Amino acid sequence: MNLLVLTPEKELFNGTIKAVKVPGTTGEFEIRENHASIVSSLRKGPVKITNSSGQVETIPIKKGFIEVINNEVSILVQAEEAAE
Amino acid sequence: MSGALKEVRDRIVSVKNTQQITNAMKMVSAAKLRRAQQAIVQMRPYADRLNRMLENILSNLDGGADTSFGVERPVEKVLIVVVTSNRGLAGAFNTNINKEALRLIDEKYQKHHENGNLTLLCIGKKGYDFFRKKYSDINLIEDHVLAFNDLSFDSIGTISQHIMDEYEAQNYDRVHVAYGKFKNAAVQFSQMVQFLPVVQKKPKVSEAEKQRRADYIFEPDKETILNELVPSILQTSFHKFLLDTHASEHGARMTAMDKATENAEDLIKELKINYNKARQAAITNEISEIVGGAAALEG
Repeated sequence: MNLLVLTPEKELFNGTIKAVKVPGTTGEFEIRENHASIVSSLRKGPVKITNSSGQVETIPIKKGFIEVINNEVSILVQAEEAAE
Repeated sequence: MSGALKEVRDRIVSVKNTQQITNAMKMVSAAKLRRAQQAIVQMRPYADRLNRMLENILSNLDGGADTSFGVERPVEKVLIVVVTSNRGLAGAFNTNINKEALRLIDEKYQKHHENGNLTLLCIGKKGYDFFRKKYSDINLIEDHVLAFNDLSFDSIGTISQHIMDEYEAQNYDRVHVAYGKFKNAAVQFSQMVQFLPVVQKKPKVSEAEKQRRADYIFEPDKETILNELVPSILQTSFHKFLLDTHASEHGARMTAMDKATENAEDLIKELKINYNKARQAAITNEISEIVGGAAALEG
């Protein structure tokens, strides 16, 4: 499945992934292949991306939203600048 | 005679110097414009997707989607945000934005102005100076005049957040923004839009689309997401006002400076012709003097 991570200023990630774990407002959850369509708000915390070769990449965020449709994942965030 | 010659020569030099400056300013603005344009382009996908999410949610909500930002209240207190540039020499760019704000005040908020219920928030020095000097009776918020020094989403976000907070606290019942809309490098125009309350657009959704969207899971629930989504969208559109104005400023300056450089070129041409004429006149004069002198000696 494809993941796109956007901030208002730039694109943080765009590519094929195996899974992504996000800090949802009501708790952390993970999106895997063929996840049902979902829209959720996100709170402060790390977005953990497992890329196609199995490596994990972490992007800390302040807040944001995730949308999943047909294996297309979009995460819109305000990134945590200090942690970059 | 040589006095006139020197004068023309000096003027040519001075015009040439001016031309160099205007040309340099044009180049600088062109470079800055490119960067400003990039910022706008980069924000577009983010804004588009946020709006798509909003439409998704709205089409799934039964009945109204009223957040506190969509409620029309009787308009008692008005805030107008005037976004201009910090520097001039950009043609009529800033003047037009200020005029736009003045027109709105004249047309709709004359009474609010008289009763002191009209507030202006100026971003950018040009608008601030204009309103402070000429309309000192309007309440001016000057905290954000220099917002252009830091165009990051975080920094601009605090301004729009502040406006939204004030709106929710009913300190303002309506918020307008006057800014320079950026179309392309050659075309910018001043525009006035209503920022709050949000002007509701009914999303057009086909039945098939509705079916597809009905499958969505909303976490935690639609209302909560909506309450977080709307401020984010508002922040994004507010940010766009500033980015647009920023790009427009440089576009306008580029055009203005290009014209100025061309004008200088014309002026130099004209002065050169004058200079050559004066020089030729001086030479002719000298020759006729010599000839006259020689004739007198012979005679």
